[in-house]
Amino acid sequence: MPSLNEYLMVSGLLFAIGLAGVLFRRNIIVIFMCLEIMLSAANLSLVAFSRFSGQGGLPDYDAQVLVFFVITVAAAEVAVGLAIIVALFRARRTVHVEDLTSMRG
Amino acid sequence: MTLLLIIFLPIIAAAAIGLGAPARLAALLASGANLFLGLVVALVVALKGDGEMHFESARQLLDSPELTLGFGVDGISATLVLLTVIVTFCAVLVSPARVAGRGEGLYYISSLLIAAGALGAFCATDLFFFYAFHELALIPTFLMIGLHGHGRDRVATAWKITIYLGAGSLVLLAGLIALYASLSPAGGATFDIAKLTELAAGGEVEPGVQAWIFLVLLIGFGTLVSLFPFHSWAAPAYAAAPTPVAMLHAGVLKKFGLYGMMRVAFPMLPEGFREPLWAGGWTPEDILLVLLLGNILYVGLVTISQRYLDRMLGASSVMHMGYAFLGIACLNAAGWGGAVFMMFAHGISIALLFALCGALRGRLDTLEMSRLGGLGARVPVTATLFAFAAFASLGLPGFANFASEITIFFAAFEGALGGDAAGLGGLQVATVLALWGVVISAVYMLRAYRNIFQGELGGDRRPDEVSPLERGVAVLMIAVLLLTGFFPNLILNLVGPALGLPH
Amino acid sequence: MTTAFLILLLPLVSALAILLGVKRNPGASALVSVGSAGLCFLLALPLLGADNDAAGSFTWLAVGGLRLEIGLEVGGLARGMLLVVTLVGLLVHVFSMGYMRDDEAKARYFAGLSLFMFSMTGIVLADNLAMMFIFWELVGVSSYLLIGHWFQKNSAAEASKKAFLVNRIGDFGFMIGILLLWGSLGTVNFGEMAGRLSEGGYDATLMNWAMVCIFCGAVGKSAQVPLHVWLPDAMEGPTPVSALIHAATMVAAGVFMLAKMAFVIAVAPTAAGVVQHVGALTALLAALLATQQADIKKILAYSTLSQLGYMVMAVGFAGAQHGGAAVGEVAANSGFFHLYTHAFFKALLFLGSGAIIYACHHEQDIWKMGGLRRSMPATAATFLIGTAALAGLPPLSGFWSKDSVLALAWDNNPLLFAVGAFTAFLTAFYMTRLCVVVFFGEPRGGGARGAKEVAPVMLAPLYVLAAGAVVAGFPFAYGWFIGGGGAGIAHPHGGKALFLTILIGLALAGIAAGYLLYRDREEEPFPLKALADKLYIDEAYLVVVRVFQDAVAYVAKSVDQLLIDGLLVRGSARLAAGVGGLLRGMQVGNLQGYAFLFGLGVVFVIYIITTAVR
Repeated sequence: MPSLNEYLMVSGLLFAIGLAGVLFRRNIIVIFMCLEIMLSAANLSLVAFSRFSGQGGLPDYDAQVLVFFVITVAAAEVAVGLAIIVALFRARRTVHVEDLTSMRG
Repeated sequence: MTLLLIIFLPIIAAAAIGLGAPARLAALLASGANLFLGLVVALVVALKGDGEMHFESARQLLDSPELTLGFGVDGISATLVLLTVIVTFCAVLVSPARVAGRGEGLYYISSLLIAAGALGAFCATDLFFFYAFHELALIPTFLMIGLHGHGRDRVATAWKITIYLGAGSLVLLAGLIALYASLSPAGGATFDIAKLTELAAGGEVEPGVQAWIFLVLLIGFGTLVSLFPFHSWAAPAYAAAPTPVAMLHAGVLKKFGLYGMMRVAFPMLPEGFREPLWAGGWTPEDILLVLLLGNILYVGLVTISQRYLDRMLGASSVMHMGYAFLGIACLNAAGWGGAVFMMFAHGISIALLFALCGALRGRLDTLEMSRLGGLGARVPVTATLFAFAAFASLGLPGFANFASEITIFFAAFEGALGGDAAGLGGLQVATVLALWGVVISAVYMLRAYRNIFQGELGGDRRPDEVSPLERGVAVLMIAVLLLTGFFPNLILNLVGPALGLPH
Repeated sequence: MTTAFLILLLPLVSALAILLGVKRNPGASALVSVGSAGLCFLLALPLLGADNDAAGSFTWLAVGGLRLEIGLEVGGLARGMLLVVTLVGLLVHVFSMGYMRDDEAKARYFAGLSLFMFSMTGIVLADNLAMMFIFWELVGVSSYLLIGHWFQKNSAAEASKKAFLVNRIGDFGFMIGILLLWGSLGTVNFGEMAGRLSEGGYDATLMNWAMVCIFCGAVGKSAQVPLHVWLPDAMEGPTPVSALIHAATMVAAGVFMLAKMAFVIAVAPTAAGVVQHVGALTALLAALLATQQADIKKILAYSTLSQLGYMVMAVGFAGAQHGGAAVGEVAANSGFFHLYTHAFFKALLFLGSGAIIYACHHEQDIWKMGGLRRSMPATAATFLIGTAALAGLPPLSGFWSKDSVLALAWDNNPLLFAVGAFTAFLTAFYMTRLCVVVFFGEPRGGGARGAKEVAPVMLAPLYVLAAGAVVAGFPFAYGWFIGGGGAGIAHPHGGKALFLTILIGLALAGIAAGYLLYRDREEEPFPLKALADKLYIDEAYLVVVRVFQDAVAYVAKSVDQLLIDGLLVRGSARLAAGVGGLLRGMQVGNLQGYAFLFGLGVVFVIYIITTAVR
């Protein structure tokens, strides 16, 4: 069985991939997917911690409960986020973030 | 409980107006009830006459640092509470019943909020709420000048006063934080004013440090009181402000800075005032004396050269603050009593002048004094009321302003030349120079009165006489000034016992 | 409640009653005011013989170590002054009922008179300087109101403002003087101050400064050089006001105050010198100016100035030594003696001129009058009595009091005696000129041709005052006013015959010169423009005010707008805008840019937390 470090390593990699995607991809749908990857990375480390910090042979269920919350919220967030992206595409005819600069000060 | 009622009644009334209650009625009820409560509070404090805090209430909000929503009044705050409720009542009465555009609700809401903020600041026993309530009162001031003000550049003026007073408050905040930080190592962290004062009396803070903190507080509080050279916001702001706001700000809110000097700066920095800032250098006392002369003489001259009545009144209110500072600088009981009395007297008289100025503004096409003239023959009642107000303002015996001024002057010389102490000190020299201000204020007030009401008619103006309501308001304020002017002990006996001074 | 308090408060009640309601009925207002004045006079009479000095006091203002009292004392000179004020006040009230009969603001006028009576009584009865200062200011404002009674006239409005401001300048000094005394002696009560001074241990230099400063108050109120400019202008007010306030009582308040302060003058020799010389200079200058005026009231105004100068000079000798003893109280008594005889004959002259002006339909130019002795014989007779008294003809009152004043100078300072004697000559001269031009010859104007004798209500006060002007100088009369048992008045020591010859001779010479030079003239035969234009002192002051006050005020205002407002405030606004601009650069509007910054921030926070925890 792999140790906690290996789980965290994978989680970190996933998070880095997601962050890189958020920072450097232009398509807003891809950015959105990368956000989800970052969430999954966080979930992975939560489950790993849960497994390894349990006491008396039982895992720490607090973290697993939190993961369920995250998944639920993420589902809702995806629904809203995608709706926003669709609305955005309808309004602007583009999903490239470089074209969306009306917030420039 | 009474104090909580006084402070929160205006806020509740403001909220009710916001929710659709009839604006004028609600504001009148709240301010009328407040007037009654304020009189009761002042009466009770005067009868007890022991210099202690009364009507205390406290609700602890945080343990560490100790933060308490606490209120209480002694003679000094009771005087200012009395001033606030009187001026608020009058300001609400002279507010217009109908306002085009955004509606009259805002008028009354802002008046009530300013009153609540001032009352809260005057009654707070906690440094945090002392500061916070004053900020609460400033916001409606800015809004009202921008939204309902007079003149073309009212928005610019609103911005200017916002930035100016914001900066002043910021300096003040920095000073208060420094004060708090310097005092808290000595004991548990607390914002309680009484406890901080006790800590300060322990004398653990270096006098040199005290002097610097004092200077920062002086600048901060001074900006709010329009101490020279931080005064240039005042005249344009009062000229642009709607009448009730000008009355409340010049009459009441501005006194916060002076009150803060007496409540915070002096008691918590007992050695800071007379300690040189650097070896052999100036003390905050020297600086204050120079600056207050700037208020009295320099701003006095600026007042003389104003061409518009509203600006002149604004500048005159800046000038008179110099006397209040002079009283505080005396650092004896008579001087402080005179200063509090001056705050009261000036508050009523400047509110009266702004009320009359507002009445004139509504009836004349211009307030440029040289274009008016001879109106005394057209509107004798207005002229008489204005004459009373002008004479009060220029310090005629019989009015409270004179009694307070003379108290301050005598206080500055109390025991100064007897025995071994031959020769004039800085305070006495400053007082002698400040006395010239009495001539200056006579010059601009009489010039204004002569240009507006006396002489031959300038142009064919036929303004209406003041309405019975405005007349009643003015008579009420004149009566207060005369009563306290004939019997100054009414106020001084209230203030006197509370004047526990450093040193 | 003592009688003194009653006398003080009655006029205030009357003024308030008129202000608060009676004003709707002008006739009733006049009656209320006259009634209160009459009652005051009756109440004041028994006080003459009373010997209680203190008449009650209460604490007006107390805080910390400061306690100011409102206390009355009816002793010494205050008795005489009280009688002068109430008597002349009553007569002027009565006269005003005729003079102001048709005035539309009669109620305001009588309210002003009552306010004045209240304030003046307060000065007279005050037992301390602070209280005196309070009422000192109040007489200033009642004078302001009454001078500006016809405020619709630009000249009246300006004159009232000028009077108030010039007085304020004097009060500026007065207040400093009071503060100096309070600072060094710790009290402002007259009796206590005298006590402290007699104990010694005071700083002599300080006393000199204090006295000079206090004298400034008298310079303002009694219109001495250089603050004399307001009094001639004050003649814009109704003539009874001029008689009461600007001749008999208020302007004499300065002298009265100096007389009360004689105990300080006695220990302040330098200040005493200043007082003497200012008084003498005023007497001379004003007499010179009076010789060339054409306005009947202005002539009388300058004459008042000149006589006030005499009184001030007399009180200034309080510090002089004679025969090894300080002159002190004698000098104060002599000054006061002239004060009250002057009150009679000058009030008489002013009311007389008021009657003339009224009869001539408000004509004040003496060159448009003439021949009035035929149409107004009673007025003319009383006016001539007043003139003779003022000129110092024996045995009228002016002769005795002027002698007493000049005797002080004769003994102590020959130069000042010469000035005073020459002024006496000028006085006789200009008064004769006035009488000759007004009462003799032929009428030169429409007003004078139609003049008729005035109503009895206006004549009665003239008779009373004329009687006073005749007898007030006799010893039995001044015994009432000054108190027979006191130090008495000054008499020349040595050279008495020469002294009297000089004075009587000069008075007769002045009368002769005036009569011969001005008999049957149609216009001013010797125009001296500089004197007629008041030596351009007013104009000079105007320039000073323009340059030093208005110009400085303008500069201050500009500095305020440019430097403080422009540089400091706008500067800080620009600074705020600049910082805002910098920060704005970070708002690139790029989602990924924000995310990047956000990531950096998170890393930074983690760094801080980890280092702080460690």
